[in-house]
Amino acid sequence: MHATVQLNHAQRELTVKIVYYGPGLSGKTTNLQLIHQRTLPDVRGRLLTVETHDDRTLFFDLLPVFFSTASGFKVKVKLFTVPGQVIHNATRRIVLQGADAVAFIADSRRSAAPENNAYWKNLVENMRENALDPAQVPVVIQYNKRDLPDTKTDAEIEETRKKGKEPVVGAIAIRGVGVLETLFAVLQVAFRSIDARAGLSKNIGLTEKEFLTQVFNNIDTSGTELEKLFPPKKAQGSATP
Amino acid sequence: MRQGESVLQRRVTLGDLLETEAFTEVVKGFVELYRVGIKVFDEKGGKLADIKIGNGDFCGYVFSFPEGRRRCTATVGRVKDGPVALSHGARLPVLEADLVPASKGMVTVPCFTGLRYLIVPIVWEGDTLGRVVFGPFLPEDLADFPPGTLKEISDQLDLANLKALVEKVRRAPESTIARVLLHFGQLLQTMLFAGQKMFLTTQLHIEATLEQNRDLEERNRKLEDANLRLKELDRMKSAFLATVSHELRTPLTSIIGYSEMLAEGLAGPMNDEQVDYVRTIMEKGETLLKLISSILDISQIEAGKVRLNFEPMDALDLVNSSVTSVKPQATKKGVTLEAKVPRALAGQVLGDRDRLRQVVVNLLANALKFTSKGGKVTATVTEVMHQPDLNAQGYRIIIEDSGVGIAADQFDKIFQSFYQVDSSSTREYGGAGIGLAIVKSFVEGHGGVVRVASEVGHGSRFTLILPVQPSLQAQVSISPPVTNLQAPADDRF
Repeated sequence: MHATVQLNHAQRELTVKIVYYGPGLSGKTTNLQLIHQRTLPDVRGRLLTVETHDDRTLFFDLLPVFFSTASGFKVKVKLFTVPGQVIHNATRRIVLQGADAVAFIADSRRSAAPENNAYWKNLVENMRENALDPAQVPVVIQYNKRDLPDTKTDAEIEETRKKGKEPVVGAIAIRGVGVLETLFAVLQVAFRSIDARAGLSKNIGLTEKEFLTQVFNNIDTSGTELEKLFPPKKAQGSATP
Repeated sequence: MRQGESVLQRRVTLGDLLETEAFTEVVKGFVELYRVGIKVFDEKGGKLADIKIGNGDFCGYVFSFPEGRRRCTATVGRVKDGPVALSHGARLPVLEADLVPASKGMVTVPCFTGLRYLIVPIVWEGDTLGRVVFGPFLPEDLADFPPGTLKEISDQLDLANLKALVEKVRRAPESTIARVLLHFGQLLQTMLFAGQKMFLTTQLHIEATLEQNRDLEERNRKLEDANLRLKELDRMKSAFLATVSHELRTPLTSIIGYSEMLAEGLAGPMNDEQVDYVRTIMEKGETLLKLISSILDISQIEAGKVRLNFEPMDALDLVNSSVTSVKPQATKKGVTLEAKVPRALAGQVLGDRDRLRQVVVNLLANALKFTSKGGKVTATVTEVMHQPDLNAQGYRIIIEDSGVGIAADQFDKIFQSFYQVDSSSTREYGGAGIGLAIVKSFVEGHGGVVRVASEVGHGSRFTLILPVQPSLQAQVSISPPVTNLQAPADDRF
């Protein structure tokens, strides 16, 4: 149930779950807001922010993006954030359930290193609690807030990259820098992981290229590194083949 | 591991997102405003709302003929369960040009009577969750009504009557009705969004609470296990100490006895040096014996085996004689020892004389041990008066010294068995750290309390507040000091 792919052959439907994880105020919601703004209304749902009953504490944000593949399979990408507040570990764990990949949004300031570490440990623990194998659920690290003083240097970030196998993306989410690049990286690793387990290209004829193209053709990539790969469309609403 | 799947992993249904009663109210308002009936079905054909208007008499009349009933049932079935697609008699609606791209999969299904239905799927985040059926309405483009074909139903059919009845059905161009339906669709999207938010908030709240409970239960279980293990270890420790102490005491008594006989020359004369050695053996033996007795005491207290004997006793004599018994130590160390006692205590005092004497001697010995040459140790007994700490008549025995003192954060710990303020003091001053644990147990066994006040470098003051009449309940069982480790009671806020 937990580590299985949400692939429904009867309904010809694939659901990909991506969770944006990380310390409070590291920029998870900002990431989702930008993706929402840049995505064509036809293929996205509303950005839903769910709060607790009693106070204004965030439960999570949810942004669905959906499309149909050339072979007629319906694909839904669900982007979630988890609350950073320490008191809500139970919620974090619930939202993390069944994740296909995780975008870990870290604050690149040196002073934030302990927080980043704490949430990283928390992520690994919660994965284990959810019976998700940390080796099977790929993670992409986004080093956000690269514009703030006290931020780590590129060399220091390179050091961090070398410590693990996770791809690392630098970002200034508030200005839209690195957000789509992170999304690209996390969707890529998610696809590869699902493909390895469920054989997407073999079973439903969905290749990594089509998957990413279907998503990013509907996202305004102008001004990002993805611009060349997926040139932004001028006219809106043209149907995908 | 958690049971079941989170609501976030499940596919939502229309019923999850719409609160039936409130939704029905909205639909009703809409129907009354536009005078066209609305039916809302979920994916599986379950009805969420069904508000009719105007067509009841007309349809009822047609329905009263068997063939009318057959055809009517077929139409309703088509509208409710048939595909929302251009098949099974459905066609594209007639729309004004500006509406076409936004028509959201709308289809028109004509009724055999000439009336019409419009159907639009309810799409939520790429999923079709159900459909809205609008109608029947009377299309304006229908020039000749009712059509002559209705005669096929029955030759009994009264066309004039039908004409009169159909007047109550809303007459409008199809494109107008389509526009209204699209408007309703927008309203529905807003309601679904609000409904989804509410639904997920509620469900998540429940899930989070269950998850937290699960967490706490697990933590509780772990603590209970740890507690059980600790209790068992504690019991084993006490049993071990009791056995070992008893086994040690027997041979030690012989060592002391034989040394004493040797020292007194019962086995023949010895030179001074020999006598000196033997006396040292005796003295160290006595010290060891006292230590073993203390260990035996504490292990019996911890095993709950100690019973106090309350009898009338002379508290002043108790303190005086205790002071006398430690006098040689004070003299040897060059510490002034003083007893401040009133002439007499008012009324009779009950207590276990032997145990209390052990308490006072213990405290005095401690005070002497930690006070250096030139210092002072005082034992004071106060008058009998009301003691707020006990809420009863009582008196105080205060042992004060000018010694090394104890840091405030150590006050609670010094009463735990085998605790020393720091392990270096064991080497410097000796002792096993059980004296105060015994003191506390015996005083509390009398229903009294021990207070400690101290300033590092300036001395300590131990105050025993004892009731004149110890309660019998306290006599029955002395709670072992180890219980204090399990229930730190003081921190209420």
